[in-house]
Amino acid sequence: MRLYLKISLLIFGVLLLTAQTPGTREYQLKAVFIFNFTQFVEWPSSSFSNPQSPLVIGILGKDPFGNYLEDALSNEKVNGHPLVAHRYNSIEEIEKDCNLLYINLTESAKTEKVISSLKGVSVLTVSDDPNFLKQGGMIRFYTKENKIQLQINPEAAKSANLSISSKLLRLAEIVTPKTKSK
Amino acid sequence: MTLFRDIPIKTKLMRIILLISVIMLLVTCSSFFAYEFYTFRQTSIQKLSTLGEIISTNSTAALAFQDPESAQEILTALKAEPHIVAACLYDKDGQLFSYYPSNLDTKKLQTNAKMGGYHFDDSYLQGFQPVIQGSKQLGTLYLRSDLGAMYERFKLYSIITALVIATSLLLSYFLSQILQKSITRPILALAETAKAISTHGDYSVRAIKLGKDELGSLTDAFNQMILQIHNQNQTLSEFNQTLEQKVKDRTLELETVNKELDSFSYSVSHDLRAPIRSINNYINILLEDYAGQLDDEAKRLIQIVIHNSQKMGMLIDDLLAFSKLGRKDLTKVSLPMKNLVEDIWNDAFQLEQNRDIEFILNPLPDCYAEKATIQQVWVNLISNALKYTRKKEKTVIEIAWEEKEKEIVYIIKDNGIGFDMNYYDKLFGVFQRLHSPQEFEGTGVGLAIVQRIIEKHGGKIWATSQPNAGTTFYFSLPKKKV
Repeated sequence: MRLYLKISLLIFGVLLLTAQTPGTREYQLKAVFIFNFTQFVEWPSSSFSNPQSPLVIGILGKDPFGNYLEDALSNEKVNGHPLVAHRYNSIEEIEKDCNLLYINLTESAKTEKVISSLKGVSVLTVSDDPNFLKQGGMIRFYTKENKIQLQINPEAAKSANLSISSKLLRLAEIVTPKTKSK
Repeated sequence: MTLFRDIPIKTKLMRIILLISVIMLLVTCSSFFAYEFYTFRQTSIQKLSTLGEIISTNSTAALAFQDPESAQEILTALKAEPHIVAACLYDKDGQLFSYYPSNLDTKKLQTNAKMGGYHFDDSYLQGFQPVIQGSKQLGTLYLRSDLGAMYERFKLYSIITALVIATSLLLSYFLSQILQKSITRPILALAETAKAISTHGDYSVRAIKLGKDELGSLTDAFNQMILQIHNQNQTLSEFNQTLEQKVKDRTLELETVNKELDSFSYSVSHDLRAPIRSINNYINILLEDYAGQLDDEAKRLIQIVIHNSQKMGMLIDDLLAFSKLGRKDLTKVSLPMKNLVEDIWNDAFQLEQNRDIEFILNPLPDCYAEKATIQQVWVNLISNALKYTRKKEKTVIEIAWEEKEKEIVYIIKDNGIGFDMNYYDKLFGVFQRLHSPQEFEGTGVGLAIVQRIIEKHGGKIWATSQPNAGTTFYFSLPKKKV
């Protein structure tokens, strides 16, 4: 009986823990995808102060990942750079050495502002926002046939001095918004 | 090598060349084949692993972003390689992620993704390789290739090998046909010349030298040899001719001398007859007309003179008869030999009637000869037999014959005093006597005449004897040619 109680408690505890983290199965996958972006995107060496300095993945706005992002990034390295996740509440908080920024803002105007503020800096921008690419964003998640798909704006990435692997481009839907193209 | 022994040198050379060519080609081709087999396997593995490298590099994103359709698309590119019969991608948990071709029976696949590298299995080349992005393994790729390419290649190689061998053989056949002539032609020419010389005996023929190699020197040696034989033959025939000429000359000389001798002895005996006859006549006249005036001693001396002159007359007669024989030709007729001998015996026996004589005359075959001379033979032989048996109490004389292949041998056998065979050489010599004239009278010409007659008839005469036991004379006469 005591064993049964213990198991019950354990299950309850796990359920409780799961309930506490806002992430879902969808964001678990997206966290892995974000990690994978670091594998298929090349940053200019000027983005890093030294070869050992971390590759910073920032989250602006509400954090949908919970622990999944940390799980995906833990003990991983890209070209010698350890992966680190930072969470920002405002644009101002974004550090200079942020390399990938997941933007989860409720207002499109703010998003546009963020993107324009990142102009000239090699930061890969990722979001779920349907208008994200039109606003000058680089990679967008969307769901189709119950699967997470990618939209990529290679022009934007190029202007940020980032090179996205053709292997990644193959998988994604390429979008080149006319309004923002310069 | 007994296989080659009895075939012509031309064929022999050709077969040797072809055999060597085939062996060399086979050795070369099989080494290439073996090398190619090894290299091709190595190359196949390398090619497959390069292909795997390309596929896995391309499929990293698909694996990373869990896009099996994209992975499928990448794998479908393998259509370009018809020998790839299966390709599968497994994710990092070992779960089947994507496969090619779409109708692949995935249940049959071995999912032991731990095996690294590619290797040959039965009729497949297959293996696994990790799909790595950066330093991270995203999954595993499995590739399987059938060996059709290898078999196709080897088929092609076999055809090429067969063609090469066939072409080379054909080429070496024609080349050896042409090139072997440099060896066989001089040999065949030499053989031909040798054959021509041995069949026609024409030693003036010379073999033609076709080169300065061993065969050339062989030809030279052969020609030298033929020249020597030719020269020796010439010397020999010249020598022979001179020899013949010499023999002819000598014979002619001898014949001349013989004739001279004959005519000399004939003329001598002829010329001696007249004086001896006149001596005889005058002695007889002396004895008849002046018998009264002579005393007994004178008469006795005259008797000795008569006796000696008579003896000399006989001698001259015999000598004349002997020399006459050499001068005249024979006129042969068929002679009834038995009658001839009978008549002679009857005449001879008249003089010896007081003796005890047994005469055995066997039937004799006829002969083809000159009557007068054969008569002389029998007279001489029979009187000889009677003479030398005179001292026997009972005389036995037998006449017989024997038939030989080409001649008939007549035999006269007596039981007289005989002679020592050591003196046989003197038996038929002129004036040769085996007994003293005091013992047995005679001139020593009789048997010489007999021998001359028989030899003139183309026969032979010989005798056997034992002292005091008797003598047997044999003479042969050739049978008449039919």
